Amino acid sequence: MTSPIHNPDRTADVLIVGAGASGAAVAASLSEAGFDVVCIEQGHWQDSFKYPTIEPDYELRAMSSWSINPNKRRLPEDYPVNVDDSAIEPVMFNGVGGSTILWAAHTPRLHPSDFRVKTLDGVAEDWPISYEDLEPWYDLNDQVMGCAGIAGDPANPPRSERPMPPIPIGRDGEMLAGAFDRLGWHWWPSDNYVNSTRYGEGRDACNFCGHNMMGCYQRAKSSTDLNYWPRAIDQGTELVTGARVREITTDLAGSATGVSYLDPGGNDRHRAARAVVVAANGIGTPRLLLLSNSEKHPNGLANSSGLVGKNLMFHVYAGVTGIFPDNEDRWVGPAANMILSQEFYETDPGRGFVRGYSYQTGRGQGPGATARGGSRRVPWGADHHVQMQRRFGNTVSLGIIGDDLPEEHNSVTLDEYLTDGSGLPAPKITYRVSDNSRAILDHALVQGQKVLEEAGASEIMINPHSREAGWHLMGTARMGDDPERSVVDRNGQSHDIDNLFIVDGSVFVTGGAVNPTPTIQAIALRTADYITRERKDLKTR
Amino acid sequence: MTLDIDTGLLAAALDRIIPPVDDLPGAGAMGLAEEVIARSRADFRFSDALDTVVNALPSPNAFTALDGEGQDGAIRALESSHPDDFNLWLDVVYTIYYMQPAVHRRMNWHGRSPQPEGNVMPPWDESVLGVTRQREPFWRKA
Ligand SMILES: Cc1cc2nc3c(=O)[nH]c(=O)nc-3n(C[C@H](O)[C@H](O)[C@H](O)COP(=O)(O)OP(=O)(O)OC[C@H]3O[C@@H](n4cnc5c(N)ncnc54)[C@H](O)[C@@H]3O)c2cc1C
Ligand code: SF4
Repeated sequence: MTSPIHNPDRTADVLIVGAGASGAAVAASLSEAGFDVVCIEQGHWQDSFKYPTIEPDYELRAMSSWSINPNKRRLPEDYPVNVDDSAIEPVMFNGVGGSTILWAAHTPRLHPSDFRVKTLDGVAEDWPISYEDLEPWYDLNDQVMGCAGIAGDPANPPRSERPMPPIPIGRDGEMLAGAFDRLGWHWWPSDNYVNSTRYGEGRDACNFCGHNMMGCYQRAKSSTDLNYWPRAIDQGTELVTGARVREITTDLAGSATGVSYLDPGGNDRHRAARAVVVAANGIGTPRLLLLSNSEKHPNGLANSSGLVGKNLMFHVYAGVTGIFPDNEDRWVGPAANMILSQEFYETDPGRGFVRGYSYQTGRGQGPGATARGGSRRVPWGADHHVQMQRRFGNTVSLGIIGDDLPEEHNSVTLDEYLTDGSGLPAPKITYRVSDNSRAILDHALVQGQKVLEEAGASEIMINPHSREAGWHLMGTARMGDDPERSVVDRNGQSHDIDNLFIVDGSVFVTGGAVNPTPTIQAIALRTADYITRERKDLKTR
Repeated sequence: MTLDIDTGLLAAALDRIIPPVDDLPGAGAMGLAEEVIARSRADFRFSDALDTVVNALPSPNAFTALDGEGQDGAIRALESSHPDDFNLWLDVVYTIYYMQPAVHRRMNWHGRSPQPEGNVMPPWDESVLGVTRQREPFWRKA
């Protein structure tokens, strides 16, 4: 899909950096409201019919050119990330659709309590907005992205009818659900942005191929190149691909004037705009703000609080995997999206930690990935075939996603030496797992084993900490009412620069214990609505 | 680099990594050494790991002169001296082995790539919610 011809010398109303989950939602919303929108994206469009799951070597490609880890994928549009001082490695995709190209599309919502952790539990900060503020935007996003699920989950506030019935949980899901039921613990079918029926233009139902995290050939898994982007482009948004923004430019008064970027030929260009919306994700956004330093902004743009890049949250991940040796081909179906349990989501002082965690259930994998084993490889040598036979097709996992409270020392800074293919400083991550997070995971590992035992696992493997699991990038330009304690206000508008907005996971104040993307997109839609209603001054059409 | 890999040495090591089973020869005797070298060339992380592993093994003559236990000992020694490279190499070897149609046949697995055929979506059975639906809402008001 290409954008219609636009005049590159015009001053656009709004320029968006990044065409991922949040950038797409803002582009569609603002262009539908009549703004002249341009988006600059360093990556490219993907052709779903060329995703590697159609090739016999798909499992090898997942380790290399289709890795979720940009340091392994190393495509020209990727930037390297220094992770030497990080306990977790960030993963992402750079292209139209952003990380939704590779995501699992498991789409729970934050709980009302996640917005009030200071008030309720005396930790971190409260958000300046509430669950109720976001609810209409969650609902709208569920419709556009296409949510399969079923209302009635007792662990969450009532929510509107889901647009599609749930993804069937299958035999493995039923086995775990039975175990949760017998333990008297909560479970509910996951909300997923995966089609359980045909939904959206040109998008088929999931055919249970089992490989969400390599792009979806069926277009059953929702990604923003399939829904928000076609709408945005229909409404006149100009999308420039293969172009890397290197700086947000400002005038003498300190207002944003547009961006400087490197075009696909490596030439330095400038695009003028009346407002800039940054949607480059929780690492790309602070990186760009820090890159945009100048005499007037020596610590980077929008950084009078000093909090740009600070308070990085990933969610901590661990898991337990059970072996169920009755060979029922457990690896079919979307990877991580059967059921979830939020029995231990809320704070219980008796447990020795604040906040909590969710369990997500995961199916087994293809033979190569089974042999590689994630945290526990199948051994090489004499025992190899016996162990492989025990595991392949016979595993079911509980993934643990733990709340990861913000700490200022967990951060994104600019690396002194490492650069991307354009010569721009790469981000450096500094991150350690806190004692509270560790206590959360330890509790969850013990309880998770009970579930697998109850379900009849013959053997249980424990992964105490997942390193390559930084899928959720949050907190590095957080929102708040106090300009000294936050980077943007409740509408995503920079406290320092009134025509600069941030709409990705950077603005999260806390992360909860659920995948963040429905919340990221709800925030993006809410900010777009604010601009539409309150910033008509930016509109020229 | 992966320029001067001795395929005989690599094949001998592969046979210890994934030994014969049923009517299948080991990974080396199956002829996977060439494929491991060729596919490693496509990604410098893979080829660096392969180079490290092969260079850290005893010389081809010394390795093949060892009996099975001796060869396993040499591989274990390199596994502990170069764990990162060894594990990456092992992952590449495993993945290539499990791409082989003969291996799929032995495992009695269809061996198709995931798409375009996929699998069959089972029906959604709402009765599974029977117990969990009885639970009173317990989310924390804020
Ligand atoms: C493997 C994987 C599995 C995941 N599973 C889930 C899941 O099940 N559920 C869930 O909720 N979330 C999941 N996520 C996370 C989810 O994908 C992200 O939360 C979401 O995509 C973030 O949206 P975003 O708009 O902030 O950033 P992204 O979607 O990452 O998009 C940012 C875009 O900005 C572009 N960009 C960055 N810097 C520049 C620059 N300087 N110039 C030009 N362009 C730039 C990038 O190329 C990219 O396309 C997963 C992520 C991964 C990688
Ligand atoms: S399991 Fe379904 S949603 Fe996932 S990639 Fe396969 S067809 Fe797409």
